[in-house]
Order: sequence, then structure tokens, then C-alpha cells
Amino acid sequence: MTRMAQDHEPNDDSTDLELIARWKAGDERAATSLVARHAPSLARFAISLGQRMDVDEVVQDTFVRAFGSLHSFRADSSLRTWLFTIERRLILDRRRSERRRRDDTSVDDVDAATEFDALDEIVAEEAESRVKKAVDQLSRLQKEVFLLRVNEGLSYKEIAEVVGSTEGAARVHYHNAMRAVKESLYV
Amino acid sequence: MFDCANVEMRELLPELAAGALDDATRARVERHVAACAECSSELETLRLVRSAYAATPAVDVRRIAAALPQPVPLPQRAHSGQPVKRWVDWRVAAALTMISVGGLSLAVAHRRSTEAPPRDSTVVASSVDTTRAQPAKPTGAAGPPSGGHDTTRRVNHSARTPSPKAQLAFSGGTDDMDDASIKALLGALDEMDRAPLAPSEEPDPTPVLPVIRTGQR
Repeated sequence: MTRMAQDHEPNDDSTDLELIARWKAGDERAATSLVARHAPSLARFAISLGQRMDVDEVVQDTFVRAFGSLHSFRADSSLRTWLFTIERRLILDRRRSERRRRDDTSVDDVDAATEFDALDEIVAEEAESRVKKAVDQLSRLQKEVFLLRVNEGLSYKEIAEVVGSTEGAARVHYHNAMRAVKESLYV
Repeated sequence: MFDCANVEMRELLPELAAGALDDATRARVERHVAACAECSSELETLRLVRSAYAATPAVDVRRIAAALPQPVPLPQRAHSGQPVKRWVDWRVAAALTMISVGGLSLAVAHRRSTEAPPRDSTVVASSVDTTRAQPAKPTGAAGPPSGGHDTTRRVNHSARTPSPKAQLAFSGGTDDMDDASIKALLGALDEMDRAPLAPSEEPDPTPVLPVIRTGQR
């Protein structure tokens, strides 16, 4: 079995660790290769977490923070998993800041559904709209686990690292999410 | 709506939807899906979800890369060699400790042997300072080896008054002692019993090692 294919394959065939080593040695092109390799997944993940605005900025902040602390990156987890973890924390921090600013106490779990605006329904096809509605009805954690598994192809172990949970809990969240989505779509 | 009981096949459905399975595994899972309504439905759901979230917003890779902090190349030794250096430091410290402890032990043993020598010539000497004392040679018969101070002391000690400390020297058995030697030893023991206990005894400035008398029966 192989890992899910990357949607955006960079020209550089080097592994992430090789690129990191090259960047540390002063090769700035290695950083560009790493960004090109992982930025699309991070952008999708940001949107799936309900980040509709400033996705590019969130992705950039993720890379800046990651490269600023590459010395603390441990090779026992993949760089992609680590980037997802950083981005998730950034988005949650942004939400908390916005919540404090708006004095909105129900952003965390409900805003994803409320952010599904009319424009999306007009633009998207019917099936896509139904799927998004079904996914948006999941709890935040279920949605994160579900989309990391389905869209980004992360294993349960990697998902557990990203969301700060256990492998077993990630598996349960995924199957509960799948059941909920199927019921929303077909029942 | 039910879930398929074949957990292995069900767990591979996301990889099948993503086209990430090798040929053999893909064929196996596809055969199962073709015969399983639950997995077929779940696979369709997975494809819908992937399609709904497939759109990737444009990200400016060059702008992001330009915003990254500059790499700070560190000297090779300072960066990667630090744990090794620390390890070496520990090894050096451990070696120095062992040398110090060993040297101290030798010094203590040597001091004991020089401060508290057995005075009686009939006591069999231990192997203390065997490199210098040549314990197997009977000095009375063969005479002192040339230039050997220790041996000279051994010869001279017979004229000295035995002290109780002399009996505390390392000693062996009395199997190879003749009657005269045993008698002398017993006499020395008696003298030791009669000797007053000194509050503090200064070490004898001219310690005398006992002479080994073996094979003289």
C-alpha cells in the first residue's frame, strides 16, 4: 500500500528531510520546494476548518512559524503532519482572538455551519452543496479528523498527532463522522 | 444503514478513493466493493467528499518562501557535535574519577604497609610490594641484595623490640615455620599483650618488614 498521492508534486524529488537539511545549509530553493509541496494541502485544510478569509496568510504564517522552529522538528513524525499541527493551532488561535473581539461565544463548533453562505450554494453543484452541508454539521473535531483522513490521506496515527488525540480516538471520530455524513446524504 | 463488517477492506476505502493503493491491493479492494453494498455506498461518499473539497485555493509559493526566515548555518561542531562533546566530557570525568579512586586506594594500601609493618621476623610477609621485596628469598642465608633498602631494613629489624603493631601485618600461615620461629612468634604475642596502650603512636620512621623464612626446617 502506498500513501495517498500529493496533489501538487514539486519538481524536487528530494525527501522533506533532505530539503530541510539543504535549507539549513543555506539553500533557499529548498524552502521553495517545501512550500510548493505542502502549501496546497495546508490551504485545503484551512478551508475545511472553516477558514474562508486570508487562507494564503494562514498558510504563510504556518510556514514562517515552522521554519522559525525547525530545530525543534523531530524526524519521527512527518513534516506534513507537523505543518498541519501548526496550522490547526494558528487557526484555533485566530478564532479565539476573533471570538474575544466579537464577544461571540459560539464560534468554535457552530461557525463552520453558519459560514456556509448562499454564495456557495449558488456556485456549487447540488451534490457538492449537500456534501459540504453534511460535513459542516459534524463537530469541529470530527470534521478535522474526517477531512484529514479523506482529503489529505493521513493515517490515524498522524491524525492523532495533529489533533492531539490518540490513534483509537481518531479512528472512532472518523467512523462516527462517516456514519453521520452518510445518514445526512442518504437517509 | 449498516457498516461493512470487513474492517480491513473498509479501512482501505479512503486510499482507494485517492488512488493510493498498489495494483494488487486495489484489485482486491475493488473486488470486495463490487460485492458489498455498504462499502460501495461508502466509497461513493468518499468520492463526493473529495470532490467537494478538491478545490485548492491559489497560494503564492514564491511570496511565502520569500517571507521565511533566513537559514542560519551553524558551525558543524557547535551544531551537531554538542551531544558528542558532552558525552566525551562525561567519559573524561569518569576516567579521572577512576584514576583518582584507584590511586588513592594504592596510596592507602602502600601507607598501611609502610606504617604498620610486622616486626617479627618469623611472620610470613604478604605480597605487599612484591616487586621490591623479593619475598621468596631467605635473606639470612643469601645475604642482602645489593642496593636494596627494604632488605636492609629486614635484616636490621631483628634487633629491635617487637611492637604490637608488628603483629597486625598481613600474614600467611605457619605451616612452613620451624619450632624456633613459632616460639618466637608466641613470645612476641605475649609481649604485645603486656605492652601498654599508647594514646597515640607515631608511625615508626624506619619501618621494618619481616623476613620470610621458608624451607629452613
